[in-house]
Amino acid sequence: MANSVIEFRQVNKSFDETKVLDEIDFEIEAGKFYTLLGPSGCGKTTILRLIAGFADATSGDILFEGQKINELPANERQVNTVFQDYALFPHLNVFENVAFGLEIRKISKTEIKTAVNEALKLVHLSDYGNREISELSGGQQQRVAIARAIVNEPKVLLLDEPLSALDHKLRKEMQGELRDLQRRLGITFIFVTHDQEEALAMSDQIFVMNAGKILQSGSPVDIYDEPINHFVADFIGESNIVPGKMQRDYVVNFDGQDFSCVDAGMKPNEAVEVVIRPEDLDIVAVDTGQVNVTVDTQLFRGVDYQISAHDKMNNEWKINSIHKTSVGQIVGLAFEPEDIHIMRYHETEDDFDARLETYE
Amino acid sequence: MKKWHISNLYLIFVFLVLYLPIIYLIFYSFNAGDTMDHFSGFSWRHYGTLLSDSRMISIVLNTLIIALLSSLIATIVGTLGALGIYSTKKAAVKNGLLSLNNVLMVSPDVIIGASFLIFFTFLGFSLGFGSVLLSHIAFSIPIVVLMVLPKINELPATMVDAAYDLGATTWQTLTKVILPAITPGIFAGFFMAFTYSLDDFAVTFFVTGNGFSTLSVEIYSRARQGVDLEVNALSTLMFIVSLLLVVGYYLLGRYNQSRRMQRVKAAEAKINQ
Ligand SMILES: Nc1ncnc2c1ncn2[C@@H]1O[C@H](COP(=O)(O)OP(=O)(O)O)[C@@H](O)[C@H]1O
Ligand SMILES: [Mg+2]
Repeated sequence: MANSVIEFRQVNKSFDETKVLDEIDFEIEAGKFYTLLGPSGCGKTTILRLIAGFADATSGDILFEGQKINELPANERQVNTVFQDYALFPHLNVFENVAFGLEIRKISKTEIKTAVNEALKLVHLSDYGNREISELSGGQQQRVAIARAIVNEPKVLLLDEPLSALDHKLRKEMQGELRDLQRRLGITFIFVTHDQEEALAMSDQIFVMNAGKILQSGSPVDIYDEPINHFVADFIGESNIVPGKMQRDYVVNFDGQDFSCVDAGMKPNEAVEVVIRPEDLDIVAVDTGQVNVTVDTQLFRGVDYQISAHDKMNNEWKINSIHKTSVGQIVGLAFEPEDIHIMRYHETEDDFDARLETYE
Repeated sequence: MKKWHISNLYLIFVFLVLYLPIIYLIFYSFNAGDTMDHFSGFSWRHYGTLLSDSRMISIVLNTLIIALLSSLIATIVGTLGALGIYSTKKAAVKNGLLSLNNVLMVSPDVIIGASFLIFFTFLGFSLGFGSVLLSHIAFSIPIVVLMVLPKINELPATMVDAAYDLGATTWQTLTKVILPAITPGIFAGFFMAFTYSLDDFAVTFFVTGNGFSTLSVEIYSRARQGVDLEVNALSTLMFIVSLLLVVGYYLLGRYNQSRRMQRVKAAEAKINQ
């Protein structure tokens, strides 16, 4: 890739004997919004620390604009970090914290003043310049940390769960603004979160991680519509995952029936998992849909009902529907072949991509 | 006033017991007579003697110089030591260093004093100002380490990373981030070392030579020769000085706090507009 800013080549990281990152391989293009998404402890922060230079890879190469930077000290790398625990300087006030990086670079006082005020305005802290860090709430501290990093206009900005301390409303607001900011500044963002909704809403590209591995990478739509395995399907949004068998290309068997689908490239009779998103299921009269299910619970959520039901093979089905049912009622579920996504057990991302190439 | 609790009585009793000897001593410093047997009238006589006692005044100065110098040097060495212990990666080495530090803190002054004496005579080091200064520095360093290290440990783990991240060199990280952030601990260590040095008797007693003395050693040797109300006068002055220091420290703290509160209020008013 011509404009790759950061590249990991077979990067491994171990602490003592425990392997924390396992053969990490990826490429980051300039000017895009990337998200590392995965549960707590899966190695997201460790990847950021390797990029920033706070930790050394046990093996493998880390490249910045094509140059290997494994040995480059952190203070010479053109990246800035928004730390998970903010890491603000307690003896400096808000203005001085944000100005720190510019002062190190010996920028003139007037320029610093303009830049810092602008950065504080971006994070809605214009009048807080004189405050001490200890006088701020957690959410305000987080925003100071964001301002302190972006004011340096780095080539790559690393953000380690920067919105996790904000309340829901401010968080939504900041998501939009971070996204805007990224587009406006054209800086590459590498954003870490364990919140799938946040990842889907903000990213150009998502890396889904678990246990030190990148399981799948792709656009939010790709990952949502075509998760590679059970973990990803389950982690990204709600999903119905039922066991099935691939009869032949484009035909899958589950709940004792054959269904046509749009997936191919498996072995005949291969055991697979079938994914259907709850919002793709329509509730219809009994025997008029593809599957009949019995309603177990129903929860009103404002916009729609969240319904849980089971079929005759005792597979659980989650359905989001605007139509009311009643518990114990038998209803039909209607879905299209395109709503069905098939996942193979233990398929690697490379095999998955190659298989998709063959029939898409 | 509401009810009087037994706990209040207890508190008053404790403070009486603690302060009575000092008040007694101060009271007799104004005695016209020469002993603490009975008060024969008010007089500044002993203060006069004290001010014209050039030996005593030079000893006071010596004591202050030793305390200032030793605590200053110990603060520098101790702070560097604390930084060293902090940045030690291996847990075993770290704990070892800390234990060595703590052993020095808890071992009796007499033993430290005696060992210094043996050490200095073994080296052929002449006893006097130098030996007292060196031993005061030595016993102050662990105190400083103990005051500074918790402050360093309190720093967010990623704060040093943040400084590097923003482009700071190791030196800039130390001077612009770590040292300013632990300044309160460094000051506390300095004052602690200063007071330890001021009132040290046991260690100093071993390592002062013939020509050199500090206040506590001098007062001890004078007290052995019999009651001398000049000592009372000196003690009174020292008590007043330390009282002023405590009050000043308190007022300074209050001043800083109220200034901070005002700033917060001003900022809030501006935002609420
Ligand atoms: N300095 C360290 N020493 C030992 N283990 C560590 C260290 N830092 C992180 N780990 C371990 O590495 C794993 C990944 O950590 P991290 O990258 O912080 O996860 P995440 O940010 O995804 O929650 C965790 O199991 C954590 O316990
Ligand atoms: Mg983390």
